[in-house]
Amino acid sequence: MGPDTDKTIFSSYVRKDGLFDEVFGKDGNVKSVYQKLLDLYGARSIEDYVSLNNKAKSSFFNQGITFQVYGDKQSQEKIFPFDLFPRIIDPKEWEIIEKGAIQRSLALNHFLWDVYHDKKIVKDGIVPIELLSSSPNYLHQMMDVDPPSKIYNHISGTDIIKHSDGNYYVLEDNIRCPSGVSYVICNRTALKRALFGVFNHYKTYTVTDYAENLLNLLESVKPPGVDSPVCVVITPGMFNSAYYEHSYLAKAMGVELVEGRDLFVENDFVYMKTTQGPVRVDVVYRRIDDLFIDPMEFHPDSTLGVPGLFAAYRKGNVTLANAPGTGVADDKAIYTYVPDIIKYYLGEEPILKNVHTYHCSRPDELQYVLDHISELVIKPVDEAGGYGISIGNKLTKEEIEEVKIKLKANPRKFVAQPIMSLSVHPTYIDSKESFEQRHIDLRTYTVLGQDKQFVLKGGLTRVALKEGNLIVNSSQGGGSKDTWVLKQ
Amino acid sequence: MAGLNCAHMFYEYEIDYDTQNSYEKGLNEAFWQFMVIPEDNETQEVTYWHFENDLGERNSVSENGLGFKTVQVRSKKVIDHIRFNAHFKLKKKEINPFDFDLPMNLNDEIEILNSLDFKVDHEPYLRKTRLTALPEQHRDIFLFDSNKSVFENLTDLNYWAFGHLYFKVGVTDVNTPLAEIIEKRHGVCQDFTHLFCAVAKNNGIPCRYVSGYLHQGIGFFGDSQMHAWAEAFVPNVGWIGFDPTNNLLANHNHIKVCHGKDYNDCAPLKGVVYTLGDNETKYSVLVKTAEEQQQQ
Repeated sequence: MGPDTDKTIFSSYVRKDGLFDEVFGKDGNVKSVYQKLLDLYGARSIEDYVSLNNKAKSSFFNQGITFQVYGDKQSQEKIFPFDLFPRIIDPKEWEIIEKGAIQRSLALNHFLWDVYHDKKIVKDGIVPIELLSSSPNYLHQMMDVDPPSKIYNHISGTDIIKHSDGNYYVLEDNIRCPSGVSYVICNRTALKRALFGVFNHYKTYTVTDYAENLLNLLESVKPPGVDSPVCVVITPGMFNSAYYEHSYLAKAMGVELVEGRDLFVENDFVYMKTTQGPVRVDVVYRRIDDLFIDPMEFHPDSTLGVPGLFAAYRKGNVTLANAPGTGVADDKAIYTYVPDIIKYYLGEEPILKNVHTYHCSRPDELQYVLDHISELVIKPVDEAGGYGISIGNKLTKEEIEEVKIKLKANPRKFVAQPIMSLSVHPTYIDSKESFEQRHIDLRTYTVLGQDKQFVLKGGLTRVALKEGNLIVNSSQGGGSKDTWVLKQ
Repeated sequence: MAGLNCAHMFYEYEIDYDTQNSYEKGLNEAFWQFMVIPEDNETQEVTYWHFENDLGERNSVSENGLGFKTVQVRSKKVIDHIRFNAHFKLKKKEINPFDFDLPMNLNDEIEILNSLDFKVDHEPYLRKTRLTALPEQHRDIFLFDSNKSVFENLTDLNYWAFGHLYFKVGVTDVNTPLAEIIEKRHGVCQDFTHLFCAVAKNNGIPCRYVSGYLHQGIGFFGDSQMHAWAEAFVPNVGWIGFDPTNNLLANHNHIKVCHGKDYNDCAPLKGVVYTLGDNETKYSVLVKTAEEQQQQ
């Protein structure tokens, strides 16, 4: 054995003070849930690890699991950066996450029903009317529409972090078309190929049942009077960054993947064109944004949607998941009110904490934000994917001035939060040929159906691959890890 | 006053809407939605309708996102034009536009307008849209008089808008910004209506765009196409129709089809066609009284 092979996977791992490491405690001891994994692999060399990691990566390319980033000069397919070292979540902690995610999703569903019907929460002065009236996602057309089973946010992606105080906090609720679940399943598949032995030592919940559960819950919200519903997944098409996921989910659920032009509406019913003639469609899992689903009702020049779809929906002849208009509740300004929303509708204390948020639309809070930009994260209220975020302590003086101008010009468009210290996890960094600490978060997937809920036991751990970076979105150069929830 | 209005006066109208769309390069597949069916409400009732298109396709009656009736036609063949015709018979009640008790105390009105419940209930029609947002530089173009009631102010606004713009066809379209309309001072009924809505909303009055038919014959502006006017919400009274193109309150000559935040919610024809070439639209509207007046 040469001298290099003495380098084990953690021999050069540096733990920084002040960061919450998911694997190692403050004293440097391995946390109990990771102990077995380190017993099995801790003594292996980096070379061994790299060869296993490459084996796993090739399985991604072979499966065609790639994504594109908007705004790149050359659009090119990349694989979602992945590393073999999993994140393991203790069963007791998971219980909190799962209960908390369901609580939030149910409360937001109540909120959506209310703002599209009696608007009691606004009349009672809990949520300001301005947040609705200034939201482009608050759809006039959804007023007094009763979605099947009264469900709006069938699928929610709740982004959760662990702060250096050891508590979980919710960063945001994604209830339009949250994506990423296909990576969860592919990460697991890759891990099982490369490290199959490990699964004999850990009792880990499966994640590959997601599609089955999703289909089950989508079928439960079928329009009234339909016995065995026909479900489809509608995609904007192969140029969409999440096209792989759309096709994966359709295939895994055993339903058709369609584009707008594959469907048509006649007499307020939705049909799919097939070689055997038209087939009625009852449930549409739509991965097209609200304003593009029907050119008759929303963006008139959208060719992605289906003309007449909204009229069919309003009439109750088809279920759309998620319902149109859910975006009003995933506005980052509404986020601040989620603890109040939970108390108002459920009469419960929030299980998961919110990060304190300053509303730039409130003059005194705007002033605070302007005075403390370097200590805050500034986020646009209506963007997803980590676009438009400024992290105060990473800005130059000039950039701070630019942010101030933007904030003053359009305060309603921004919120600010203290810079949270996301927990870190050992992550293999190719260029360094070693493990280093990187910040992570967790996107959980919650599905609401008729009288039942499902939270995927795992979720997507996203990793900010650049050292010190806090933005984990794949569009911002983030990677991911397989996430294990252990059985008790 | 209210008692006298029970005279059961009815007007009977016949309406003919006809449109022809030609497509230079032809179409493989197309979908059209016509929003031309008069609304059934307290003052009007459709007693007959008939739809025809020359493609031999089905005319399906549906509803738009705000609950107004539409006719949808889907073509599955290669075509280069569509002709669509709608024919209606309608009973319209005699309307006395002043059939309400004039307000209560001004302070009570202001209190209602400023109340949270009122702002929440009327949020959709207080919300400004691209076509109904008063440009910043024209914010003070028409100010409400705090010594007058809401209704009086709206009547003044109607008269002011009528005078501020002159009616001219072909100089504006649905994409013309409100600032340009205000500055060039010309336009058609849509522009008068958007201007009225913008000022009313700017003063905290819920206001909506109405699309419909105008029975002409008395020399009103409105050309031989569909007409537009506004409905504003007067506290303790309800929605009242104002026709700023003609400086009128909406009356028995105004046959309502639908309302919305602005023209975009009410476009009489929306279509999705898959073609590369140009297209041309022609249409005509004819409104006539079937019999002069009929006493029941």
